[in-house]
Amino acid sequence: MSTLVYMKILERTPEKYDRGMRILTLGRIDRIKLEIASLWVKSGHYVLEIGCGTGRLAALMTARGAHVAGIDISESMLTAARRNAPEAELIHMTATEIDKLERNRFDRIVATLSLSELEEDEIAFVLRDSFVLLKTGGKLIIADEVKVPTWRKRFLACFVSWPLSVLTFLLTRNTTHALKRLEGRLEQTGFRIVARKNYLLGTLALIVAEKT
Amino acid sequence: MMLNLLKDIWFLFGRLFPFPAKPGLRRAGNPDRLSLVLVTCNFELTVRKVLRTLECDGIDAWLLVAPTKGINVWCAASGGYFSTDTVVSIIKTSGIENLVDHRDIILPQLSATGINIWALRERTGWKPRFGPVDIKYLAKYLECVGDPFERKYRRIEFPLGDRFVMGTNLGFSSLLFFILPFLVASIWMDGLWWKSILLLFFLAILNSVLVFLLPGKPGVQKGFSLGVILSVIFVVIRQNIWTIGHWETLEQIGWIILLSTYLGYDMPSWSPLWRAEIKELVMGVKRTLVEVIPEQCIGCGLCTIVCPAGVFELDSGIKKSMVVRLDACQACGACIENCPKEAIKNNFRSGTCSCPTCTVINSVKSSKRKVLHP
Ligand code: SF4
Ligand code: SF4
Repeated sequence: MSTLVYMKILERTPEKYDRGMRILTLGRIDRIKLEIASLWVKSGHYVLEIGCGTGRLAALMTARGAHVAGIDISESMLTAARRNAPEAELIHMTATEIDKLERNRFDRIVATLSLSELEEDEIAFVLRDSFVLLKTGGKLIIADEVKVPTWRKRFLACFVSWPLSVLTFLLTRNTTHALKRLEGRLEQTGFRIVARKNYLLGTLALIVAEKT
Repeated sequence: MMLNLLKDIWFLFGRLFPFPAKPGLRRAGNPDRLSLVLVTCNFELTVRKVLRTLECDGIDAWLLVAPTKGINVWCAASGGYFSTDTVVSIIKTSGIENLVDHRDIILPQLSATGINIWALRERTGWKPRFGPVDIKYLAKYLECVGDPFERKYRRIEFPLGDRFVMGTNLGFSSLLFFILPFLVASIWMDGLWWKSILLLFFLAILNSVLVFLLPGKPGVQKGFSLGVILSVIFVVIRQNIWTIGHWETLEQIGWIILLSTYLGYDMPSWSPLWRAEIKELVMGVKRTLVEVIPEQCIGCGLCTIVCPAGVFELDSGIKKSMVVRLDACQACGACIENCPKEAIKNNFRSGTCSCPTCTVINSVKSSKRKVLHP
């Protein structure tokens, strides 16, 4: 019996994930995705999406006329994504395998709520390799949970974020770590930050970095 | 030191819960460019145990601690957290490629449930192989790789120490999930809640430790037998055999039998040897079935290597694998995941070992696996 309860606790499904993420970000994530697709992606762009999940953003981008390649490691997410974004090319691949893709090919690399699921070393790897894969002038667009820099704000954000991370687990069965010093790391890799927008008391951010 | 002791106490009860160690590269001893490369999960207890064993055995090795969300090898592999992707990722991010001159890598045998060795080879260029079932056999395993003798180190066991620890964990998990009934029962039992908790742990430990001795089949039957035996002892010790008709004694006996039966029912899910009954319910099959399709089998022997239950044997004459101990099958799915020719028919949807974490119905993974035998 304890096994049944536990089993139910850990079960992950794409539907749960989508619903969970929407609730967690108070609907912001859908708006952010819309914004990415309409402001930052143009027709004819080659876009790589890291962690395409259920394919919502991929669908928005293909609708704009972009060529989208999406990667994810969850087969069930990919199945859902193939349904939602039939025009995108969706591949089972880990974020640490993007070095197999063609260099200097992409106009945009997007990652929404996927870097925070990775380990520190993996994030460093992805940032480095994204730089190599992007064309000069290409942009890396990240929308994710971030650590708030100043103590006062962090204190405030704490009230928001810890119940949120418990909720994240309950709703999506994912454990995430908010990204630390993301902008600094992007700049170290050689990117230039061109835009940043904060949401939910600065715990969720949209960051656009350009390869110069 | 103190911290490790506290952790060990926690692991006596709370194995059900993930406990992550930092993923990444560790050194055991003084590894050089020719040393072994091993992979393990990032369950804190396992990482410590592996490092300690390597140190005791004097083996110099590189240890890749894969990001498995703090879950142990078998459970993580069954739940999709220790997969081909996980190993690809740790090989890439650890920088091990620049540290050694070879490309041999040893994976824990029980990770076979989640890792496809052929895909891993293709995606990384490394030559993975599955090591022994427990790190304590590594030294012996290394002496006889490829020898049929090696198979001795590939069978999952359930020794006394493990049975005791699983007993305490069984008690703790039952307590967690049944706290409410306990409170209710304790009111009914005049506030004897701590006695009921002690009784619960006592029964859980006995159910687990004595599991091989109790009559009946693993599960409800063994639990019930234990309950009855203990009740008889209880009555004899209290020497109030004449009061057996008394309401209070009956109540206590009833409580012992009920609790013991429940714990017996849950015990298989804490053992590595038997399938949890719940799992069969979930999978909708009464009896698991694996069968080798001789025409498709090429006799590579991988199924005999990955199977922790010794279900297969390789007929070296005709170069075919055969099912010899179907009863022991855990439905872990390791053989199905790794057979290069899809030559193993089965009637279960996905790989789950029988411990609680694994019993996660792996709907995620099952979509990937073919059901060859409806
Ligand atoms: S059944 Fe599959 S894994 Fe086993 S020996 Fe035959 S081909 Fe190899
Ligand atoms: S025969 Fe059963 S126990 Fe053995 S590897 Fe296959 S599924 Fe697992």
